[in-house]
Amino acid sequence: MSSIIMRTTARVVVPIILVVAISLLLQGHNLPGGGFIGGVLTAAAFALVYVAYGLDYLEIGVLDRDVDPGAGPFDHRTVALYRRLIVLGLAIAVATGAAGLLFGVPFLTQTFVYVEGVPLYHEIELTSALVFDVGVYCVVVGAILSILSVVGAE
Amino acid sequence: MNVVVAPMLAALGAILATLVTRSRPRLQHAASVLGGVAYAGAVAWAVRAAVLGAGAPGAVTYQLGNWPAPFGITLVLDGLSAFMLVVAAAVAVPAIAVSVRFVDRANQQVFYHPLFHLLVLGVTGAFLTGDLFNLFVWFEVMLMASFVFVAFYGNAQHTAAAFRYLVLNVVGSVTFLVAVGGLYATVGTLNMADMSRRLAEAGAYGIDPLPVTGLATLLLATFALKAGLVPFQFWVPGAYRAAPLPIAAMLAGATKKVGIYAIIRLYFTVFAGATVPLNLPVVAGTTPLALLAPVLLVMGVASVLMGGFGAVASPSMEELLAYSSIGQVGFIAVPVAIAAAADSAALRRVGLLAALVYALHHALAKGLLFLSAATVRGATGTNRFADLGGLGRQSPFLSSAVFVGFLSLIGIPPLSGFFGKFLVLDAVTSRAATGPGVGAVAVLVVLLVGALLTIVYASRAWVGGFWGARSERVRAATVDPVQVAVLVAVAALVVAVGLGFEPVAEFAGAAADAALDRGAYIEAVAPAGGESA
Repeated sequence: MSSIIMRTTARVVVPIILVVAISLLLQGHNLPGGGFIGGVLTAAAFALVYVAYGLDYLEIGVLDRDVDPGAGPFDHRTVALYRRLIVLGLAIAVATGAAGLLFGVPFLTQTFVYVEGVPLYHEIELTSALVFDVGVYCVVVGAILSILSVVGAE
Repeated sequence: MNVVVAPMLAALGAILATLVTRSRPRLQHAASVLGGVAYAGAVAWAVRAAVLGAGAPGAVTYQLGNWPAPFGITLVLDGLSAFMLVVAAAVAVPAIAVSVRFVDRANQQVFYHPLFHLLVLGVTGAFLTGDLFNLFVWFEVMLMASFVFVAFYGNAQHTAAAFRYLVLNVVGSVTFLVAVGGLYATVGTLNMADMSRRLAEAGAYGIDPLPVTGLATLLLATFALKAGLVPFQFWVPGAYRAAPLPIAAMLAGATKKVGIYAIIRLYFTVFAGATVPLNLPVVAGTTPLALLAPVLLVMGVASVLMGGFGAVASPSMEELLAYSSIGQVGFIAVPVAIAAAADSAALRRVGLLAALVYALHHALAKGLLFLSAATVRGATGTNRFADLGGLGRQSPFLSSAVFVGFLSLIGIPPLSGFFGKFLVLDAVTSRAATGPGVGAVAVLVVLLVGALLTIVYASRAWVGGFWGARSERVRAATVDPVQVAVLVAVAALVVAVGLGFEPVAEFAGAAADAALDRGAYIEAVAPAGGESA
């Protein structure tokens, strides 16, 4: 299925998709973008790698580890990792939402602070919404990729 | 006040706890049951602080993320929401307790517990939210969880049921979304209190309220689909048969009630204030309620008959219960329709009170019966009446719990079902006394036929499953004592609600008042930000 055209295109396109995904994630709290769409794009990049190079490429080619060919798709090491990513993301998102309660403001309240004098950037805006978005991002990436890799393996 | 968000946080916490402990089954089961208990505790605390306790304000609101109404998402805990939350909690706790014992271990590992609490979270959010679009989101959360449960066992029959369930509900969601968009375009807000306020003074806001009637009907279709009313009932038997039985208890006891709740909340609290020129042949009226009344009445009456006849002909206990819950939701819909058609505030209150008490009764009794069906299935491996018989001698405690459940369903005093049926019939006869006679008498006759059918199918289940000589499978069965203990506790609750009906009626009355008092609802949310900004 995967031709040389596919593989070459994937090699060029995947880094671009990932960069766009990260930028969408970082600007999402006050510009178009956010954790969800960033996560979907990231998952799309990974899916492209899967289609072009096969399901085990991340393990063998990138991480240089062996793959147990006999194990079912649910026991696959990356799938277990994706599932842990879902839990981690959910925990981050809920914790960010609940953090407001400690400061006596409603659940899900967000805040921000400007940091001045940062080299190169001069001024940078740090927001708690970004942390929440990172949580959403993790859930989306973990969920889509575990579905894709399990269904793909079957 | 953080009390409003407490039940949601408890459900969220339970989802996280069961996800983190997934690799250790025993710990996960403990966390899940504890999460259910914590949820019930949070509901009790919130309801006490907001509605029932001494000096409670009656309605408490909460602005998620500190964004002011009507722009942010408002959560509203008033009498109606509180009552429905209690109903949901009363089903959720025994359902999760039975799940731990009933669902086999390998299946519990497949995200059963996180999804269960996700379902609870969806139900909670739908009851609490004061924002129409947010209501849609919670409907989707519930759909996500319940879809996985319908497909849970994963063979061909379950997948077919799940697919049918998914397609229908997605069509329902689209209808919902179209209606939400239309209402936003018409009224200019999604906050329910703000919508109610603007519709009541449509001229002052330059709103033409005419499209509201049609859009409200789109919403009614979605909610009736959720509630499983005729003509949207056909997904119910398949889905309930396919889902794990404790989940069927949740679907019948809690998520169906979300449909009923949404009809009551949107029509009586939000749309009732709108004045629209309606020229309907049967019912006169100038609010969207005038259209709701005949439509919902026909749906409810048809459901009562359809569910009753379907249940009488069912070959297994779970199918019988699934059809029965179609009929019982009809019994809830009829008094809501009576309330919509009522011309006096008193009759309107009587109708809603009857519907709410019946909803509580149905959640308890049907929850109890579905959980009993789980225990029977767990003990004997089947729910077909052909293979059962004589369970009464095999397990007296299980059988007495089932007996209480069926008696309550039939409406024998002093059980909760008696008051439910009594109030529903009372509402219909009050309507017959004031309004045009023929229609109300016909409805009364249908309800009595429905009650008769309930007696027939309840006796059939009793004779088929529990009476008489023990069958081969029953003789070999060992009934799980923990499940039976849970069932007996729920049966005791059914008896207690009937015996101590006074406070329950007061609570339901407060809920009905909250649904009807548009002014108090608007005042509690105070969506005045739209003007000052």
